[in-house]
Amino acid sequence: MTWLTLFKVNMKRELILIKRYWMNTLSMIVSFYIIFLAMFLGIQVVGDPSTAELNTQYVIINYIFWYLTMAVMSGIGWVVMNEVTLGTLEQLYMSPLGAWRIFLARIVSSTIVEIGIVIVMLILSMLTAGTWLNLDILSIFPIFVLTIISMIGVSFMIAGMAVIFKQINSFLQISQFIFAGLTFVPLSVAPFLVFFPVVKGVDMVRQIAIHNYTLADFSLMDYTALILNAIVYLVLGIIVFSRCERHAMEKGILGQH
Amino acid sequence: MMDIVKVTNVKKSYKKRKTKELVQAVKGINFTIKKGEIVGLLGPNGAGKTTTIKMMCGLLVPDEGEIYINGIDIQKRRLEALRHISVVLEGNRNIYWRLTVKENLEYFAGNRGFTKKQIQEKMDHLLERFNLKEKENEMVNSLSRGMQQKVAIAIALLADTEVIYLDEPTLGLDIETSYEIRRLLKEIVQEEQKTIIISTHDMPVVQEICERVIIVNHGKVVVDDRVDNLLQLFESKAYRFTLLKPLSDWQKEVLKKEFIVTISENDNNQTILDVNITTSEGFYKITEILEKEQTPIEKIDRSIVDFEEVFMNIVKGEKEIDLAHTV
Ligand SMILES: Nc1ncnc2c1ncn2[C@@H]1O[C@H](COP(=O)(O)OP(=O)(O)OP(=O)(O)O)[C@@H](O)[C@H]1O
Ligand SMILES: [Mg+2]
Repeated sequence: MTWLTLFKVNMKRELILIKRYWMNTLSMIVSFYIIFLAMFLGIQVVGDPSTAELNTQYVIINYIFWYLTMAVMSGIGWVVMNEVTLGTLEQLYMSPLGAWRIFLARIVSSTIVEIGIVIVMLILSMLTAGTWLNLDILSIFPIFVLTIISMIGVSFMIAGMAVIFKQINSFLQISQFIFAGLTFVPLSVAPFLVFFPVVKGVDMVRQIAIHNYTLADFSLMDYTALILNAIVYLVLGIIVFSRCERHAMEKGILGQH
Repeated sequence: MMDIVKVTNVKKSYKKRKTKELVQAVKGINFTIKKGEIVGLLGPNGAGKTTTIKMMCGLLVPDEGEIYINGIDIQKRRLEALRHISVVLEGNRNIYWRLTVKENLEYFAGNRGFTKKQIQEKMDHLLERFNLKEKENEMVNSLSRGMQQKVAIAIALLADTEVIYLDEPTLGLDIETSYEIRRLLKEIVQEEQKTIIISTHDMPVVQEICERVIIVNHGKVVVDDRVDNLLQLFESKAYRFTLLKPLSDWQKEVLKKEFIVTISENDNNQTILDVNITTSEGFYKITEILEKEQTPIEKIDRSIVDFEEVFMNIVKGEKEIDLAHTV
């Protein structure tokens, strides 16, 4: 019940702000689309025509996951930085439900909104490229959710950094390239990446969307890796985050900028 | 009545960011607050008021000591303790400037687990009473500082906790708004059984609202007493000498060194000496100083004190008070 209330108010806040500052959202979609166009044209002009369609499909999936990874993994970090700047962070810490629950409700809300945006982008990309991915929702959905859970775990870790160091913009900028690595590099090229967040999930989604896999085509190992990955990163994320909070409360730097 | 807030031997030091030097902000504070009490937390700038309040909120971990809220250890069971507390922190940054008044109220209540339905009635009532009804759909950044402060207080009240901390609620407000907030707080105090702790430099707030004050200076409690007791205590010690001859320089110097005095002149060109005398010896000493220059005394009166004076005297003449009034 409290989870539902928390989710409701935080979702409402998200929607209010998007409506109020819709230009931001729109310009984000537009710039996303322009970058996609550039990549798509690149494949058409310099790529091998026989693999052009496959390459385009890879680009669409990778690029969309990159966008989502950036949004979710840096999401709570941005929330914390923003709250520190506004001066409202300490008020969130006065909630008897715990600030981490509020942040979780916020990241879930903003992720749902981002997924909406991603769907628009996906359709735009496919229309532009004239290629159709196998969007088997029933198969993709569970894998997708588990992938997002590992992203949220990382998001908490990064937010922990924000609680202590406050301004971590430059770190977030650099980490975009790391996120790109996680979403663009195929698991077959670097198998050790299975221990990293997101990679396994993206790999499985690619199999479904591009190579027409169904859930039955994956092995038990695949699922184990995916599920363990999600659980470990989420739990680790929340532990790291609460350690950082505690440190900030001891040093008296929780709400300071 | 039970102690709803209990602070025992709490200490806190900060490390300065640049010099890494350790600043002892709170050096062993003890007090208990009973349910329904309205307590003023006073002290000069840097005395440790905000530090103490933040520790009582569990936003800051003490180096030593314990804090219990309704019998719950705030270190060990923080979230549980938070159910009994709400706070308006120092400054104007307690609310979201890009949300409307109502959105702010709903958001913060929601984050405490209240559904819209649960708070609707109370929210309307608060908006009405705080004179914010017409502004409910306005963005907070378009409101005056005073109205923003009212919104922050309304949020704290909407949380419906037994204990409310207010850190300098009237700081930076004009006289009128300050008066309004004072009036609102007074009404709330009369109607609802809340325990309120107000840190403030605003003496009218203390005199009108608080029953009891805790004065901290240099991170320690120097006085903990009822407001009327303190007023009485000081009343009996404040004297006004009307003199027929101006004081000489050395007289002024000695008086200032030995006592807390203010020297002025009245309309009849007589010299007025206001002084706090805590002991009989003090009285003899003053007459002695006056006698040395044969200064004629027209009359001696008890002077009227307000809380501002009481406070200044305590903070300036900490030692003197300790003699008369041990904590
Ligand atoms: N985060 C911090 N880092 C370092 N020093 C701090 C910090 N917060 C407070 N201090 C220092 O601790 C001491 C007590 O500060 P505090 O803010 O508690 O005083 P205060 O009584 O609230 O003062 P004011 O009336 O100015 O609000 C001061 O010397 C202050 O400089
Ligand atoms: Mg303060």
